[in-house]
Amino acid sequence: MSVPADAMAGTGPGPDQLLKTSGSVWRIALRRFFRRKIGIAGLTLVSLMILVALLAPVIAPYSPLEDFIGEPDAVRWAPPCVNAFGCEGQQHLFGLDGNVRDLFSRVVHGARVSLPLGFTTVSIAIFTGAIIGAIAGYLGGWIDNILMRIMDVVLGFPSLILAIAIVFVLGPGIRNTLLAIAIVTIPQYARVMRASVLSIKEIDYVAASRALGAAPMRILVTRVVPNALTPLVVLGTLGIAGAILEAAALGFLGLGAQPPTPEWGRMLADETQRVFTAPHLMLFPGLAIMITVLGFNMLGDGLRDALDPALNE
Amino acid sequence: MGVVAETAATPTSPGTRMIGYVFRRILIALPVLAGVLLVVFILVRILPGEPCTAILGERATAESCERFNEANGLNESLPVQLGIYAQRVVTGDFGDSIRFSRPVSQILIERLPVTLELSASALALAILVGVPLGVLAARRHNTVIDVGAMTVANVGVSMPIFWLGLLLAYLFAIVLGNTPFALPVSGRMPPGVRPDNFWEVWGLELGDEGFVSAAAEFISNMEIVNALISAQWSEMWVAIKHLILPTIALATIPMAIIARMTRSSLLDVLQRDYVRTARAKGAGERRVVRHHALRNALLPVVTVIGLQLGGLLGGAVLTETVFGLAGIGTALYEAISTRDFPIIQGFTVIIAATYVVVNLVVDVSYGYLDPRVRLR
Amino acid sequence: MRRRMRWLALLAILALVAAACGGDGTTETTTGDTSAPSTSAAPDTTPPDTEPPTTDTTAAPPSGELASVGVESCDAEDYEGTIQSIEATDELTVVYTLCGPDPAFLAKLAFVPFAVQPAAHLEATGGAPLDNPIGTGPFMIEEGGWARGSEIVMARYEDYWGDAPAFDNLVFRWAAESTSRILELQSGNANYITNLAASDYETIEGDANLQLLNDPNPNVFYVGMANTFEPFDDPLVRQAVAMGIDRQRIVDNFYPEGSEVADYFTPCNIANGCEGEPWYEFDPEAAQALLAEAGFPDGFETTISYRDVFRVYLPEPGAVATELATQLEENLGITATVEEIESGAFIEATSVGAQDGIHLLGWGADYPHVTNFLDTHFTGPQFGDTIPELVDLLAQGASTIDEAEAAPIYAQANDLLREHVPMMPIAHGAAADAALATLEGAVVPPFGAPKFADMDPGSDTLVFYQNAEPISLFCHDETDGESLSACEQVLEGLYEYDETGTPVPLLAESCEPNEDGTVWTCTLREGVTFHDGSPLTASDVVTSFAVGIDAANPLHVGNTGGFEYYAYLWGGLMNAPPAEG
Repeated sequence: MSVPADAMAGTGPGPDQLLKTSGSVWRIALRRFFRRKIGIAGLTLVSLMILVALLAPVIAPYSPLEDFIGEPDAVRWAPPCVNAFGCEGQQHLFGLDGNVRDLFSRVVHGARVSLPLGFTTVSIAIFTGAIIGAIAGYLGGWIDNILMRIMDVVLGFPSLILAIAIVFVLGPGIRNTLLAIAIVTIPQYARVMRASVLSIKEIDYVAASRALGAAPMRILVTRVVPNALTPLVVLGTLGIAGAILEAAALGFLGLGAQPPTPEWGRMLADETQRVFTAPHLMLFPGLAIMITVLGFNMLGDGLRDALDPALNE
Repeated sequence: MGVVAETAATPTSPGTRMIGYVFRRILIALPVLAGVLLVVFILVRILPGEPCTAILGERATAESCERFNEANGLNESLPVQLGIYAQRVVTGDFGDSIRFSRPVSQILIERLPVTLELSASALALAILVGVPLGVLAARRHNTVIDVGAMTVANVGVSMPIFWLGLLLAYLFAIVLGNTPFALPVSGRMPPGVRPDNFWEVWGLELGDEGFVSAAAEFISNMEIVNALISAQWSEMWVAIKHLILPTIALATIPMAIIARMTRSSLLDVLQRDYVRTARAKGAGERRVVRHHALRNALLPVVTVIGLQLGGLLGGAVLTETVFGLAGIGTALYEAISTRDFPIIQGFTVIIAATYVVVNLVVDVSYGYLDPRVRLR
Repeated sequence: MRRRMRWLALLAILALVAAACGGDGTTETTTGDTSAPSTSAAPDTTPPDTEPPTTDTTAAPPSGELASVGVESCDAEDYEGTIQSIEATDELTVVYTLCGPDPAFLAKLAFVPFAVQPAAHLEATGGAPLDNPIGTGPFMIEEGGWARGSEIVMARYEDYWGDAPAFDNLVFRWAAESTSRILELQSGNANYITNLAASDYETIEGDANLQLLNDPNPNVFYVGMANTFEPFDDPLVRQAVAMGIDRQRIVDNFYPEGSEVADYFTPCNIANGCEGEPWYEFDPEAAQALLAEAGFPDGFETTISYRDVFRVYLPEPGAVATELATQLEENLGITATVEEIESGAFIEATSVGAQDGIHLLGWGADYPHVTNFLDTHFTGPQFGDTIPELVDLLAQGASTIDEAEAAPIYAQANDLLREHVPMMPIAHGAAADAALATLEGAVVPPFGAPKFADMDPGSDTLVFYQNAEPISLFCHDETDGESLSACEQVLEGLYEYDETGTPVPLLAESCEPNEDGTVWTCTLREGVTFHDGSPLTASDVVTSFAVGIDAANPLHVGNTGGFEYYAYLWGGLMNAPPAEG
């Protein structure tokens, strides 16, 4: 689960690259990004899902909370009814769920839950991780040792199991899910940040500006952060994919979003019993998760290819 | 994730430095394990809900809770509980489960083999499919095959495991239910089927206690291994059939990751000078890949494989839940929900130790195989 | 750098060593065995008259001696139990002396935690035969019969005193998901499965190879409103909610067929359950008027809390919580946030009235008596402050042996519930099991597990799938249905429940009360043997009971040591060590 391990490989910025952080690098990267199909495909999927999230009330024919109890032909777990395919009743593209709600509307609105959840989780994790990594790398010594050993402790657990334990402690719900996943992913970012700081610390001009008496904070902000940004962005993009998957897993175990929130993992969890009798209830929310995660994974891959000069083709 | 990312100076001859390096890595691992221990201890004690109500049930009275806490040492002060716990762990004693009144180590002997067998077969499948897929994609770089293989791999890492598991179950139990392709979707063996323990087949007598009998029991709880070494072929086939779907579900993500890693690593190596030299000397493409490039390209793949072991343990919780397997994943999940502290503590420590050891082996082997990774 | 590393390693080792030593002095106290009740160790000053009553218990009397257990007086300050003593008066006679009349005595006695095992076996296992129970039942657990994690194989007991089962082996298995259980049934792997999900009824009914078996266990799903929190401290608000919820709509949509709207807290198949006025009709206008009168014309904000646990009384908690929120909003303008709470914490909070807002809970009967519904809920703090009149009425009812005499008492009690609305009863949930059509004699009894001994799969093995693995097979000390259902195939008590839920003699020929219903004399069936071949004696019956109810008994060990049903159904344990602070 979580972030594919190969995301790390080759993202460590080499000193050569770190020296040239001019705008041209980004332009080149942009060109490289758009030359590769994988990044474009990822960008397309992600944009599509963001669009769905933004336009959810327009796209969805009904409210995600509105139930159709008592209306003709509206039975629980009804299969999809598409007018274009000859179904004469009220149209429900993905069928009805266990509370007799329109599943299509719920899946569409689910994008409004999962995407922000992914973004927020990763933002929290990057922010915290970067601070920890920067402090550890910059100060070094025993502070570095303690901080990184703490990170090792967090990595000593399978991330899902630690997340489960944290959610049990905090109680179920979207916010706590988000926190739990953020906590278990912090070390990845901390390590990348620390490696960045360490490598740049040795570079002459940083040593020089230090010798010239530049404040540590200033060095950190002007020199280190921009260079660490590349791997963090790549890792973060893949991290969003991981966070969405892990939130779905927690939802599946009944620990994530609370009803009636239209969260994809929770929708799957609620209808597990119906997998053999009403498979559409499993199929559509699952596909939504897959497409979103696929989008972020491909976008992350594309970004890495574009930003990492080690992979020159 | 990879500790390989850490960089440092002092390049020396790897042979002599290796032992010292391993030793230091073990010493670093110790405080990490101690930290894991402490975190688990704190986490389980700040879980909401008392073990008493979780375990004695809804009808528990205040008096019986009091007796229960007393009997299980839950009335002691936290430092005292921690001391007892740490002391026991150091001596390899994980205590007794509160809920089952049985030694945690015994439960581990019953549960761990299931997870081990599942993870091992999933990893094997992931490697056997992932590596060739990656090689194929790299050799046919920028062709339909490459794009196809990588799309499959990308879709593979993007699927929720439990969802894939349920879809597989639906496919093989319902859609293909009445065909020869139908596969069992829950449990480890059909009802009432109990293969003989291998030591019985071998005609050995085992005592009730001791390491040997525990180890033997552990091995015989791996149904496939037990059937294999005692030549119970039909039982072995049944055991394999029960494991196919969970294995596929669990293997998908590592398979995709391994395929992607193999591909990018091989592409990288194929552009190196020595490969060009080999090509220039007239070696056939097949020979170049097999003899010159692949071995080097597999180095990072080995690392990734090692790192996947950890992910497998997390995935096992979901896979075991979907396919009704009594492994450590489901046991741990149940223990967390019933506040069975000794099981949570014991299992997590074992998992964390496995993690640390695997990381260590990966680091060391990587450093050993690739001198460019400098050791400090 | 390297020097620092060495220091760190040294520190780590020191820390571990320190931790190891720190534990040294204290291990003794916590690992001490659970069987020793330390009455003498408690240094607190106990006044002489409240000293724990002494007993004449022996763990297991030498053969020939007759066992007994009891307290000196029911009036002892720290004894809250309802049993004074249990004595074997001869080889086949057991006398139960109660502290007061108990109309539910036989109904409780038939419950499987009170089953009989040989005194010698309890002794031999140190009071914890967790996976090797020995009973008198039609099936027995052989060595290695329980393969942990996968299944329990039970073998037919050839010397069973009753009709021997028609098949050799009974296999217990488990799968958490209803869908998995159905698959096992459809594939022929299972003969019988429990707890169908509502959506699976059609699957079973539509398949000629399968049969649907209705489970008549009495239960109730209710919506609790503790009067300790605003605005539910106002009876008008609670009455408004009671009228403002369309319960029929909930039952129609979220309960399997056969479920009923609950017009009383107690189901009507329990004697005296449905006396008095039925519940309010659904009337949103009247409800809104009440709400306005209480000062909330536009409703208010509250929470709906529940635990995500499948129970027959509430098969789909999440869906029903959502539906309830919808109805509160639409019918009353009350905005409710749905909140799932971890099961243990939820029970802890609701059982003492500490859960704000509306909570979803229910009750499945332990034994068929109205006291098991009303007394368990409305004499304690679950819904906040109790209703004093109701508490008095229930105490009166609980000591009235004659059913007809008790009827008007329960009519008044139900009317009080309707007036004060500590909770609103919603549904009596129907449940169903399923079996292969070829399984003969398959029925679900209202109490306890199916009696597989009376069924015939037409082959030599019957495979049963339930929800989960038993925790242990020593049901003296278990409360989960999965453990109890396995025990019931192996162990027997003096009474059992028949297909209507009436207690009927099993190991007893009969149990007869004296005139005021405080002394019950039970005569045992002759010629019954345990699975180990030893004959059933009155001392076995007494010792089995003593192990559970007497906390000072050296064999009072069990699994968790809680012996919940002994404490809970008989008012409290004998010689319970005084609770500290």
